[in-house]
Amino acid sequence: MSILPDRQRYSALVLPVVLLLVWQVLAWRASTPLFPGPGQVAISIWRLYPQIVGQIGYTLMRAAAGFLVAAVVMIPLGILLGRLKTVGSVLEPILDMMATLPPPAVVPIVMLFAGTGDAAKIAVIAYAAGIPLIMNTYEASKTLHPMATLVARSLRLRRLETMVFIDLPASLPMIATGVRLAVASALLVSVTAEMLLATNGIGVFLQRQQENFQIANGLAAIAFISMIGLIVNDLVQRLERRLLFWHYRLDLHNER
Amino acid sequence: MDVVLEARQLAKAYGVGRDALQVLGGISFSVGKGEFVSIVGPSGCGKTTLLFALAGLQKASTGTVTFNGRPVTAPPRGVAVVFQDYSRSLFPWKSNRDNVAFGMVRVEGLSSVQKRDKAQEMLEAVGLQGFEDKYPWQLSGGMQQRVAIARGLASQSELLLLDEPLAAVDAQTRADMQDLLLDLAMRFKQTCILVTHDVEEAVYMADRVVVLTRRPTVVDHEIAINLGKQRDQITTREDHRFLAARHDVMMSIRSSRTAAPATAA
Amino acid sequence: MGAFRFMEILAWFRAIISFLIIIVIWQSIALLGLVPEKYFPSILAIAAGFRDMVISGELVSAELRTLSRALLGVASASLLGISLAVLGDLFPSFRRGFAPIAALIQPVPPAALVPMAVFMLGLGPKLYAFIVILVTVWPPYFNGVAALASVSDVQIRTGQMLGLSRWQILRQIKLPAAMPEIFAGIRYASSISLIAVVVAEMLAGHDGLGFLLIRKAFAIRIPEVYALMFVCAVNGLIMNTAVNGLRWRFAGWQLRMAGQAA
Repeated sequence: MSILPDRQRYSALVLPVVLLLVWQVLAWRASTPLFPGPGQVAISIWRLYPQIVGQIGYTLMRAAAGFLVAAVVMIPLGILLGRLKTVGSVLEPILDMMATLPPPAVVPIVMLFAGTGDAAKIAVIAYAAGIPLIMNTYEASKTLHPMATLVARSLRLRRLETMVFIDLPASLPMIATGVRLAVASALLVSVTAEMLLATNGIGVFLQRQQENFQIANGLAAIAFISMIGLIVNDLVQRLERRLLFWHYRLDLHNER
Repeated sequence: MDVVLEARQLAKAYGVGRDALQVLGGISFSVGKGEFVSIVGPSGCGKTTLLFALAGLQKASTGTVTFNGRPVTAPPRGVAVVFQDYSRSLFPWKSNRDNVAFGMVRVEGLSSVQKRDKAQEMLEAVGLQGFEDKYPWQLSGGMQQRVAIARGLASQSELLLLDEPLAAVDAQTRADMQDLLLDLAMRFKQTCILVTHDVEEAVYMADRVVVLTRRPTVVDHEIAINLGKQRDQITTREDHRFLAARHDVMMSIRSSRTAAPATAA
Repeated sequence: MGAFRFMEILAWFRAIISFLIIIVIWQSIALLGLVPEKYFPSILAIAAGFRDMVISGELVSAELRTLSRALLGVASASLLGISLAVLGDLFPSFRRGFAPIAALIQPVPPAALVPMAVFMLGLGPKLYAFIVILVTVWPPYFNGVAALASVSDVQIRTGQMLGLSRWQILRQIKLPAAMPEIFAGIRYASSISLIAVVVAEMLAGHDGLGFLLIRKAFAIRIPEVYALMFVCAVNGLIMNTAVNGLRWRFAGWQLRMAGQAA
């Protein structure tokens, strides 16, 4: 943003400010607690932020746990399936089908097996995050350039070494795409699972506010979720740029 | 002279039955210790297939390859390959030094510090001092291929297989790289097999040229190049012995290109 | 083209084989009693549950509601997303102003929107339109903006040399060039639209597949729950097929080009 000339920087603010003003005016005219303006939402944020931050903590912890479980299981599995062509091609349609199933639809089944506790929620999140991870890893590992394999063989690498030292790093750019989708999916499903299997977390907080007709508080919570989502996405992107510098600079190099 | 590598009646067909494509039709030759042998032939004669069979990267249909007397079924210890496609054969996530050191993953008895030092030494040998911590994609094509050559040398290879290593670099770089390769081969007493489609390069580099026919490929004949180890881009290429050898190879390639398709034995 | 058909048949063949494998594995787990049968019914029990729901009519009405919500939602979200992307391309100041709004709304999960939206919009079509559009407009918008911005200069200059106006260049050069990437966005949007609809139905608790899933789960009608999950997955396939069909219509040139290269 800072590299934009001043005039452009201000023009970027015009639309958001106008929208906020319109919202505020409409809220004044409606003058009902069921349609709060940005002012009231700001007051709710000020009053409730310790509580909201605490609840979001639960949500994030479960999202992180689910994501980690998915990453630890699915990335190695995806690399392996990419190498085992026959097994991979048989399992591919199954994966495709699981990918079309909306993750929240597994909540009722998981509830039966694992109850409504943290384990159940983490299982649903891991499922939701696992699908994009394995799809992208498998695709990357399957489509690796044959030259990588030739070099590995001429250096006399063992199969496991080839997967760890060559297939995995070479697949990382596509795995990163999977990671971005999986992180978004983990956050989404974490909130959803809380609302369906209520105990704590920001999803439950939101439902309480709805039950008590506290719309402004609910919107305050949504504003927090969106900020957290923004920060998490940004962190993931920074991490990606950092770890995959060789991939991105490679692109720049080729363009020149 | 000790024989390092020997190919005997090496044949390779792709596919089966009527659609089968007989690429190699029974190739035999051998390479002695310290020799620089060029393999040259008309386009599409299966040079890369041959080199992959020599390297143990691809199984031949019939015939044998022996390296130091032992049959080659998988890439043996002591054989290194420099591929044509340097941008893909180097790993973009590794620095140049790590790429070269990675050539020694399967070399036992060296600590990681020793491997690092050796990688450094080889990078200096190919004239890349100062680029150790850069990445392959920060270098020009010729420099990348030098990294790949350094990796091949570093892996303590008794035999270096070069698969059209200079086909993708520009003409001037190419001449420099030819001299670099010759110089390295001499310094490290490295046995080399160079596969190329460039007749001049084949003759300029080699102690002996193996000329192949068209598909199904067999050895047409071999020519010894008696120009000594020391070569020069200008005087060697004007030497009448060079020109005679070049003439001989080009004639046989031209005749095999125009000849009626040879029938498989 | 012959090779293409062959590949297609091969893909179907593989799909059928892996489907059979799932059924065999599923059935043997159910028969061996590795998992209590109560939680893991046999294929036959699931089929029976499916049939019961079809006969009672609840499945058909729920399915029609869910699918129409998802399809209409993603269709309008795509049109809106493309329009916004075009607007952003014509007026860079709009794009800059819209960026922070998009960045803030995009990460909000559909589930979080449901409680507040139910208040303001009730349980009718307005609720689903609001949630699905707010969640799925982003992939086509972001892909559209990026693709419109990266159309090659040579192609645009060619248009200018032919004397095309700004609008004609947009319509005839930039939009077609951007279509493949926009469709990649629509494809992703179609999968999240189904998620958003099912989640909203689960939470709004009124009708649709999501609601039926929750109700059957609480009534411990396990075979029906599995049958409903299967229907959800089939919906995903329907959405994918619809999007792919449109992609052939609007961005087929790219697929044919890719096919040629292969």
